Amino acid sequence: MSTTPEERLDVSMTINGRRYRSTVEARRTLADFIREDAQLPGTKLGCEHGVCGACTVLLDDLPARSCLTLAVQAEGRQIRTVESLAEGQELNTLQRAFREQHGLQCGFCTAGFLMTATALLEENPTPTRDDIVETVSGSLCRCTGYQTIVSAIEQAAAEGQNVTNGGDQ
Amino acid sequence: MKPPKFRYVAPRTLDEAVEHLAADPDAKVLSGGQSLMPLLAMRLAAPSILVDLQHVPGLDGIEDQGSSVLIGAGVTHREIERSDVIAQRLPILSSAVVHIAHPQIRSRGTFGGSTAHADPSGEWPTVLLALGATMHAVGPRGRRTIEADDFFVGPFTSTLDEDEILTHVSVPTTRTAWSFQEAAVKRGDYGLALVAATGIPRDGQLAEARVSVGAAVGSVRRLTDVERLLSRGPVTDALAEEAALTAAASVDPISDIHGNSEYRRKLVASLVRRAVLELKNGA
Repeated sequence: MSTTPEERLDVSMTINGRRYRSTVEARRTLADFIREDAQLPGTKLGCEHGVCGACTVLLDDLPARSCLTLAVQAEGRQIRTVESLAEGQELNTLQRAFREQHGLQCGFCTAGFLMTATALLEENPTPTRDDIVETVSGSLCRCTGYQTIVSAIEQAAAEGQNVTNGGDQ
Repeated sequence: MKPPKFRYVAPRTLDEAVEHLAADPDAKVLSGGQSLMPLLAMRLAAPSILVDLQHVPGLDGIEDQGSSVLIGAGVTHREIERSDVIAQRLPILSSAVVHIAHPQIRSRGTFGGSTAHADPSGEWPTVLLALGATMHAVGPRGRRTIEADDFFVGPFTSTLDEDEILTHVSVPTTRTAWSFQEAAVKRGDYGLALVAATGIPRDGQLAEARVSVGAAVGSVRRLTDVERLLSRGPVTDALAEEAALTAAASVDPISDIHGNSEYRRKLVASLVRRAVLELKNGA
């Protein structure tokens, strides 16, 4: 990158195993880069100031709010979004658990919960219910009352492996 | 919500970062961005340039130096949460870190960023004040250190100059009696009141006690009346009660939608009582 401050910059990053490159304004958020430049609309934007958790993605395998990260900060990094979870039309273990436990209703918050839970289960495959509650405390859901979301993540953990079958990774 | 326009640069050395800050008084440092990005989204801040420190070497690492631990400004809250050195040498930090927002924020937000931001409801300012930490900064006039007592001077205001960068914080490990208390509406929310208390156990008493309060007050500060009380003799239940009353009398809490001044005064009293009782067990 340039050593002089720029208002527009070339950015490239890997999203779900594929390289994306674009020239963006410095102020462009990672969320907008994912949704508009990379045309991956599965990541949702709710509050756009870091409170609701809907826009959570994995940035170098760690959960991050894509509305609180600039696209330029993600230069050269690895991003995973909700589109990485299913294999074609085949839902992965975690997504199937959300469906079976009714862990979603309107679905707007779901991508954020799924990516947050993916990071949790990759780090700790056998979380307690308290661990799960603590981890998803950073996401808001106005439909479910949360219990079914926590149960879905519990079910996915109990079913073990293959939480991230990785889609196109 | 979109941030206002700004220019961006990601320098590869500390000197270069300082040059950018010195060249433009409206340039600001970008570390994890977890406090800055909402300020930009709300258009409460409009910097001309963001100087991203993510590629600047030497700002990482948690180093046990014996009587202190040196923590790099770029260390994330998540790294603090998972650090064995911190858990063993500075357990008050392990206790406080889980109150900082949520995992998605803790994986990006940095120790130095939160410290320099000097948010009165920030866990690190409150804890670092109670520990008597030393800030290490670098600027165009060279390097200097600033004691926590001289660092946090107002809401979102530190004595760091506009063209200085916080590089490390040196945190003493000698204060082995400690307590961190936070009251929030729900986990991860901004606290309504925070209290940190530390001391050095000596002959069944608590020496050199330091007690700080955050969130309930406009600016993080020490409760020196409570500290004097704790130096009087052995820490007892009665002393904890007296400390709570003294704390209540020595703060003038803020009021907002989440809690009025009287409520927060009671919270501060309760948290100080709990903190002193924990110190008693550590002393």
